[in-house]
Amino acid sequence: MANNVRLYLTCIRNTLEAAMCLQNFPCQEVERHNKPEVELNTSPELIMNPVLICRNEAEKCLIETSINSIRISMKVKQADELENILAKKFLRFLSMRAESFQVLRRKPVQGYDISFLITNYHCEEMHKHKLIDFIVQFMEDIDKEISELKLSVNTRGRLVATEFLKQFI
Amino acid sequence: MAYFNGASRAVVNILSKLRNVEKPVPVDHSFCELGSIRYHIQVSASDQENIFFSISTPRLSQDEPNPNGLADFILQDIKTKYFNFADIIQPPKEGYTLTLKLNFSKLTRAKDYTKAINMVSSLHVAILNSQLKDTLKNLWMGDIIQGSTMPIKLVNHKQEPFFVFRAPKKVTAIFPMRFKDESDVILATSFFQELADLGSKFPKAPRCEWSPIPPQELRGEPFENLSTNGGFVSFGIFKRHVKGKKADKTAWILLNFQQYVRYHIKCTRGFIQRRMRHRLEVLSEAIEQARIGGEPKIRKEVTKQRKTWLRFSKSKQLKRGIKAFADQMKRLRLRIKIRGLGRLHRYCFHVPKFHALGWHAKLD
Repeated sequence: MANNVRLYLTCIRNTLEAAMCLQNFPCQEVERHNKPEVELNTSPELIMNPVLICRNEAEKCLIETSINSIRISMKVKQADELENILAKKFLRFLSMRAESFQVLRRKPVQGYDISFLITNYHCEEMHKHKLIDFIVQFMEDIDKEISELKLSVNTRGRLVATEFLKQFI
Repeated sequence: MAYFNGASRAVVNILSKLRNVEKPVPVDHSFCELGSIRYHIQVSASDQENIFFSISTPRLSQDEPNPNGLADFILQDIKTKYFNFADIIQPPKEGYTLTLKLNFSKLTRAKDYTKAINMVSSLHVAILNSQLKDTLKNLWMGDIIQGSTMPIKLVNHKQEPFFVFRAPKKVTAIFPMRFKDESDVILATSFFQELADLGSKFPKAPRCEWSPIPPQELRGEPFENLSTNGGFVSFGIFKRHVKGKKADKTAWILLNFQQYVRYHIKCTRGFIQRRMRHRLEVLSEAIEQARIGGEPKIRKEVTKQRKTWLRFSKSKQLKRGIKAFADQMKRLRLRIKIRGLGRLHRYCFHVPKFHALGWHAKLD
């Protein structure tokens, strides 16, 4: 299982290393504007082929590249209802505080749980390899955090139920 | 468990202050707690010893014979427990179910006084427990009509009824659970499943069961009572759970079960929020470290080290302080430039130079 995850993350890392070749490119349609082309999607010559990396039906990663920006969208594993609401709450919490991360999108792409938007400006301000490390680390941390949250909630429930039933003794 | 300690803190505070008052002051407090319990405390300035304490509690069952007051067995129960310092006033104050005249003058020890105040603050617990115990007792004693046993609907908190039903050898308490938020439903469901799973580990505790659909005992009840999103939790109460002193505790726990579940969900949500905030901070630090030329964490450590070194030389610190002050004064003087005040500056701030040797004016 761990190997499976390693392969999945390695594939994403290699794809990002290849895709993250961004340069400044002013908008072709509006003068003196500079927009991330991957979001506009108006000029097909500036958009590369999107890459979809699937670990299984529930987990996948979509990487869309353009000349000056890259968008990474992730779907996180949600095994049951509890993981579903925990993932929803947690990712919504992070998205609402997207300014702390700078590269995080406030609203995920439809069909995915969370999205990043990296522009050429981010590549100028940050180290490219560290940015990729951050994305991969983020994915690992999300899975780990959701699993830990689920375990903690169940453990709390068990402790509270034990204390409740002890009252009758 | 602190949550099931039903004493009213407001009542404890008010009654404690009345003991320590120096001047006789009239007191008239009316307040409400838990949404449905109303209190009224009155003391006149001329008669500080007698405290009139009125309370209004919700009616558990709609079938109670006396809708405006309390049943005789409850009054008898209260008389037995509170005879030391309280007398029941009949009829009770208008709008209240019970009025007591409290007189703590006979209680000379502080310990006895504190105990009496705690008993008065838990009066609503005693009333509600008595009502539920009576209902359970009637169920135990009553005859079961073959093929038709009707559940009794009880309401402690508004819009949160629960049912008690006589079964062979036990009484079943059924709680329909309703929640506003979908996430609350899922958290509560996982809690109920834990509660049901732990039944085998605590054989002396009432057996708990959870089902998403209404149990068979409630078939026939109106639809509004059966429409829930959190399912139905059932407790099987046996005779051993209502024997002696356990009866009060069991009754109070059952009365507050729904509120207890809500409290647990609220605490769980707070816990999840705290974990998420912590993770956010960790991830934010990770992205900051990706910046070119910036690893703020290490920088902070270096500045901290610098500050620790500075603390050792106090004389240098003092010199620097004086120098900073002198610089500030110079800046202030230079900053304020008002026309016409130049002369004033020269007259006020100019110190004349005294030439002690070699210069003097000859006086004729």
